[in-house]
Amino acid sequence: MFELIINILLVVFLGVSYFTNVLEAPVPAKVAKNPYAFQPDVWPKVIIILLEICLIINIIQIIKKNKGKESFTLKAFVATIPDFFKSKMFLGIVILTAASFVLETLGFIVTAILVLFFYGWLLGAKNLPTLAIASVLIALVLYIIFSGMLSVNLPRGVGFLRDFALLLESGVAAVKGIFG
Amino acid sequence: MGTFELLQMGFGYVFEPSMFIMVVIAIVLGTVFGALPGVSATMAVALGLTFTYTMEPVPAIVFLTAIYCSSITGGSITAILFKIPGVPSSAPTTFDGYPMAQRGEAGKALGVALLASAIGGLVSALAMFLLSGPLTAAALQFGPADLFAITFMGLSILTCLDGDHILTTIISGLIGLLLACVGQDKMYAVQRLTYGSQQLLAGIEMIPVLIGLFAVTEVFKQTNSKKKRMTAEDGITGGKVDTKMPSLKELWQIKWTMVRCSVIGTLVGILPGAGATIASFLCYTMENKISKYPEKWGTGIIDGIAASEASNNAATGGAMVPLLALGIPGGNAAAVMMSALTLKGVQMGPLLLTNQPEYLSATFASMIVTNILMVIVAIGIAKVFAQILAIPYYYLGPIIVMLALIGSYANQMSIADVQIMVLAGVLGIVVKACHFNSAAIVLGLVLGSMCESNFSRAYLMSRANIGQMFSPVVNPIAFVVIIFCIIMLVTPIVMPLIKKAKKAK
Repeated sequence: MFELIINILLVVFLGVSYFTNVLEAPVPAKVAKNPYAFQPDVWPKVIIILLEICLIINIIQIIKKNKGKESFTLKAFVATIPDFFKSKMFLGIVILTAASFVLETLGFIVTAILVLFFYGWLLGAKNLPTLAIASVLIALVLYIIFSGMLSVNLPRGVGFLRDFALLLESGVAAVKGIFG
Repeated sequence: MGTFELLQMGFGYVFEPSMFIMVVIAIVLGTVFGALPGVSATMAVALGLTFTYTMEPVPAIVFLTAIYCSSITGGSITAILFKIPGVPSSAPTTFDGYPMAQRGEAGKALGVALLASAIGGLVSALAMFLLSGPLTAAALQFGPADLFAITFMGLSILTCLDGDHILTTIISGLIGLLLACVGQDKMYAVQRLTYGSQQLLAGIEMIPVLIGLFAVTEVFKQTNSKKKRMTAEDGITGGKVDTKMPSLKELWQIKWTMVRCSVIGTLVGILPGAGATIASFLCYTMENKISKYPEKWGTGIIDGIAASEASNNAATGGAMVPLLALGIPGGNAAAVMMSALTLKGVQMGPLLLTNQPEYLSATFASMIVTNILMVIVAIGIAKVFAQILAIPYYYLGPIIVMLALIGSYANQMSIADVQIMVLAGVLGIVVKACHFNSAAIVLGLVLGSMCESNFSRAYLMSRANIGQMFSPVVNPIAFVVIIFCIIMLVTPIVMPLIKKAKKAK
């Protein structure tokens, strides 16, 4: 049923997009008037039409294949929704989504510590003190390797978190300086 | 200057003790970067730039070439052991590499990958050295219609990515193509499909989507799994990978696969914009089509790994041809190298090799040495990476997530890219649940804008006459390639229908 719903949603979404979002700005007059120019809306429109055809065929096939099955009802599908929200996978998605929103404010180090700890706990780590220590160490090692040694600019965070990140970077720079 | 003198000069550069040490360091760095998910070959070369600031131009290109070649090879390590392609061009390696690892044949899979990579790299280096001039001239003759046909050929793989779900695979490919349309169109900068988002104006970044679909989805799936160690069905026990090479008999069986894919990979690499990723997908499809046992592809056979790895490494040599001979980078990594040389005041263009042939000879020597040495280095690194499998998944999973996050963010230092990565990770779960195909989405996304812009140019040049665009008289190359593509696309759909009809009779 989930497969069917997604396919139907795609058909509707693409249908609406075809008429509303394929072109979101006017085509330059020079291009619009040029009979030999490949207009910028043609390519996406052709893809959407092909997609709509394929999706409709797919929907028919899904219905044919699952017709009569007990699990293939809206009621059965709705019954599975609470299970998904209780699942570890959903919590994992929440952790990562939250991380992507706090990354800039908290900086890489703190975000990494939190992700490593909570995701580790979610994945079944039993010894939480060890996990906490490992999370701090792994976060620091990752930061030192990528930011300090490979010059990848990672978010430093704000306030004292930024100061700490800068301190760490200057420490790595000093060590690099010693080794030439 | 004669060929012998050129070779002598090139190898003289590379075997100079300090340079040789730098090449070894570059191989280690390149292999590790390539193996790290989210660090693409381009990113590896870009990261390598920091080491070349104090070098002269020729050693700099030797160093960067070594990083480039080995990073492509490094990508196969994580593709085989973790089902996470370290670099996009290793994506087809996962199709057969990971199933082999699951069966406990990780060592053999890695052996084939490394040997095929080395052969692909050596063949392309030789091709680069001998055919640099003539091949570049030929590539220059390619018009937009030919380039469109070549790119479209990459898309024709769609129908054979997942034989059991052809329709959903085509849908996935089309979704990828549509995603490539998001943002301003490449020809006229008209805003499309952004739904009012400023962040989408520049289009959907490929790297976060790729990382999300391949790496994050895998971690999400493992989060629900009861098994908390990524032991690939315990095939790779205790994180130990035997380095048992494939037998000579096995290698002999795939000799033509390696030769064909090395040659095609080199040719694809020469074409501007068509790099290692297209080469590996294209060769994987082609070999699948001509194989005597196509049904075994994707179940873990060495042919699939050899096709993917020989071709993506061969593309590295190919990409260097237009860079050195004409000053036109054949791909992103070559563009980074070009900028490094330009920074040092090197005048790129056709006169470079005429006036300073040492660039060609040094690059050739570097590629030869790198492709031989990297087999040994990569085996060592693969062993280290394999040890990672012994780490409990509650440590490894979050580390992979953090590497994915770094890879997405470092691409353009954008939080939006991290959010796109998470979204792509969730999308990957939906894709799996709906029997869609992640690889097809990525393929569409990678080739989409190239396909459209070349078609657009060809359309304009042929004065809106599609018949003329693919006319055997005006564009014979495009005509032949398009016919070939149609056959490739239609065969997997038509053949089962014919078989069914025959059975019904």
